[in-house]
Amino acid sequence: MSTTQTRPALSGLRVLDLSQVAAGPYATMFLGFMGAEVIKLESRSRMDINRGRAKPGPTDPRVYPNGEHGERPYNRTAHHVHRNINKLSVTLDLAADRGKELFLDLVRVCDVLVENYRGSVMDRLGLGYGAVSQVNPQLIYLKISSQGATGPEANYGSLGSTLEQTAGLASVTGYGDGLPLMTNEVYPDPVVGILSFGALMAALRQRRQMGIGCLVDLSQREVTSMLLGESVLDFSVTGRVAGTIGNKHRDMAPHGVYPCTGDDMWVAVAVGSEDEWLALCRAIGQPGLASDYRFQDRDSRHGNQEALDEIISAWTRGWDHYQAMHLLQAHGVPAGAVLKGSETINDPHLEARGFWDVVDNPEAGTYKQTTLPWMLSKSPRQTTVPAAGLGEHSFQVFNGLLGLSAREIDTLVEQGITGDVPNPDI
Amino acid sequence: MIPSNGEVLSDIKVLDLSHGVSGPFCTKFLAGLGAEVIKVEPTGTGDSSRQSKPFLGGPDDVESSALFAYLNTSKMSVTLDLDIPDQALSVKQLAQESDILVESYAPGHLQSLGLGYGALAETNAGLIYVSVTPFGQTGPYRDYKGADIVAQAIGALMYTIGLPDREPLKVGGESVLYTTGISAFSAAMLALHVRDTQGFGQHVDISAMEVMTVAQIHSSINEQFGHTSVRRPTNLVRAKDGWVSPGLESGVQLGTWPKVCELMGVPQFAEDTRFTTQEGRRTNQQDLLKVIGDWAATKPKEEIYHTLQALRTITGYVATVEDLLVAKQLVDRKFFRTLADPVFGDVVHPGAPFRMGEDGWRLLPPPRLGEHNDEILGGRLGYSSEKISEVSKGGEV
Repeated sequence: MSTTQTRPALSGLRVLDLSQVAAGPYATMFLGFMGAEVIKLESRSRMDINRGRAKPGPTDPRVYPNGEHGERPYNRTAHHVHRNINKLSVTLDLAADRGKELFLDLVRVCDVLVENYRGSVMDRLGLGYGAVSQVNPQLIYLKISSQGATGPEANYGSLGSTLEQTAGLASVTGYGDGLPLMTNEVYPDPVVGILSFGALMAALRQRRQMGIGCLVDLSQREVTSMLLGESVLDFSVTGRVAGTIGNKHRDMAPHGVYPCTGDDMWVAVAVGSEDEWLALCRAIGQPGLASDYRFQDRDSRHGNQEALDEIISAWTRGWDHYQAMHLLQAHGVPAGAVLKGSETINDPHLEARGFWDVVDNPEAGTYKQTTLPWMLSKSPRQTTVPAAGLGEHSFQVFNGLLGLSAREIDTLVEQGITGDVPNPDI
Repeated sequence: MIPSNGEVLSDIKVLDLSHGVSGPFCTKFLAGLGAEVIKVEPTGTGDSSRQSKPFLGGPDDVESSALFAYLNTSKMSVTLDLDIPDQALSVKQLAQESDILVESYAPGHLQSLGLGYGALAETNAGLIYVSVTPFGQTGPYRDYKGADIVAQAIGALMYTIGLPDREPLKVGGESVLYTTGISAFSAAMLALHVRDTQGFGQHVDISAMEVMTVAQIHSSINEQFGHTSVRRPTNLVRAKDGWVSPGLESGVQLGTWPKVCELMGVPQFAEDTRFTTQEGRRTNQQDLLKVIGDWAATKPKEEIYHTLQALRTITGYVATVEDLLVAKQLVDRKFFRTLADPVFGDVVHPGAPFRMGEDGWRLLPPPRLGEHNDEILGGRLGYSSEKISEVSKGGEV
């Protein structure tokens, strides 16, 4: 991607990653792409939820390659394979005294700790910010939580889908019939993952300036509510409560998705400016529409968009969703095919930009991996390192980083404090 | 004493040539961390978001858009016309003294005005130049136009949102453009880290399509593993005054269900095998929602949320913006802040997206169009007061 000879952007940065599910693992996946050494810490009794169960039942909802659980199902769920790339995998039982000691030894040699447990989990283990900052005042402790580190709901649990509710996003997402809806993509999680990266860069800069680490307190609910900030301002002044308007837009019209040839195929169109409107009329072969009084300016198009939608749909039905996009864009109309995930992996634009990495995961096979939401001209991303098997790097880290002997590590395995198989009871 | 995070970027100057939503959201965050942000707007109309709903006052007032007001806190505004060569030269002069430049023009446009990355980096090698566009600076779609809904569509976020018998549905508001702005912020902070530690600036390329392809966290991988992602029925049930999701389908311990049954006054379901396990409750979701719905319909949504969360479920309630401002948790954390506006009075804004100290997030009212022309054009670029007034009016210079 680049011929520049520079160090990876985050070389020398060591991250202790206790995070699970999506927001935290996304943030640390990005850190790994930029060259940080990420040590993902799990317990054999409490693996990252992304790994699913040690022995999944026949109706387990998690996704495995071709539905096959394989010998080590916990190393091949889609979520684990996809989100836990670029990380070393170490297991450690934090409930055991020896586990706690080793955890603090790791804290001593790391720059960053990331966790997204329920609010008080780390404090109850005696490993909260107070404890870890004592052994390493330089440490940056990124606490990603549902509700923030403080407040009456600090210990409440959440999922991406409940955050969409409690942060207000669901109240503005829906078809406009009064029913709020959530995304099936647990949208707040990747958003928080992306923001967490920037928050860490800010904390690292503060550490360079002040010579001391800090707690970064990031509330997923607060961040998600920032996605409807303008409606907060509006309510506070005018008393208007934003609701759902389907695929319509406050200002633009026409605006929505339109049916194309094929089953459940659509193209999205968004017309803002006068130029875009005229371009649309030309693109669909109806230049006469431009002089139709019903559509003469933005407000009248907005008021008559149902009529407009029918006219546009009649045209889009004759085209494949990609063809429709290319034809509209060729005339200067903002448009995008509504792609499925399986289509994005073959999209020529993403391909030309080198967005995907082809990864050979030894336990799950070959697949295309999403990479980063940015490209830097002189600091290219590192090539994806496949998601590690459970505890694959425990020896490497305990021996190489903490100086434990092979014998000491054997003892830890015997005591169940570390190991590369899940606790059989889970 | 540990300083507040408002000072982290106090040595950083940002030149903001972006418009709309994504770029300005990025520079709002940089300003929040203490950077000086000079926003360059076209004379007369200003940033296009000044014409966007919702309006706090009249639609013809360039100071009335809530969208603009939210996106542009803690910045300075100067009016310059990039198409007029000597004003473009002034922009170049400002760029020479800047650490970060953020722009959102069509790829190649600023280059054609002598303001591309290459030209500016020649005399300011440390410059971090952030381009935020719908499809990025390279590739076959680079010249294509975008919008929030276009990014959601092409990045495969949208296909799985909405109900099975309806068309794909967009996430509400401008949330995808905001997310693109957050990516630009994180990438700018990354590039600043590289400059601090390795000594050089660079060009940062943000594509909204790629941000969305990263944000669809299931589809691309699931479909490669043979599992098709589809739109699904909702799991919300109606409460007395709104909607809740009971949150009994994942992350819930075994002993929780009987307690929920007791609470709802339906002990007969405690042993019902349709509901005793998480997997059972997922499989029989519609039956479960009916049982819970009968109980929930008589209770306020926030009461249900707090009561069920106390039993360690993962319950949610659909908050409206009205609910947010009085939500106990957000109030307790003082998340929202009130800024005084001379015309609209008290305006409530969301506060810091993360906290690294006591009260570090800088949040000052958005600038009036050209409010800082005297200070910047006069004070830094040496424009005469006559020339400033010409520039402010948009007259030919």
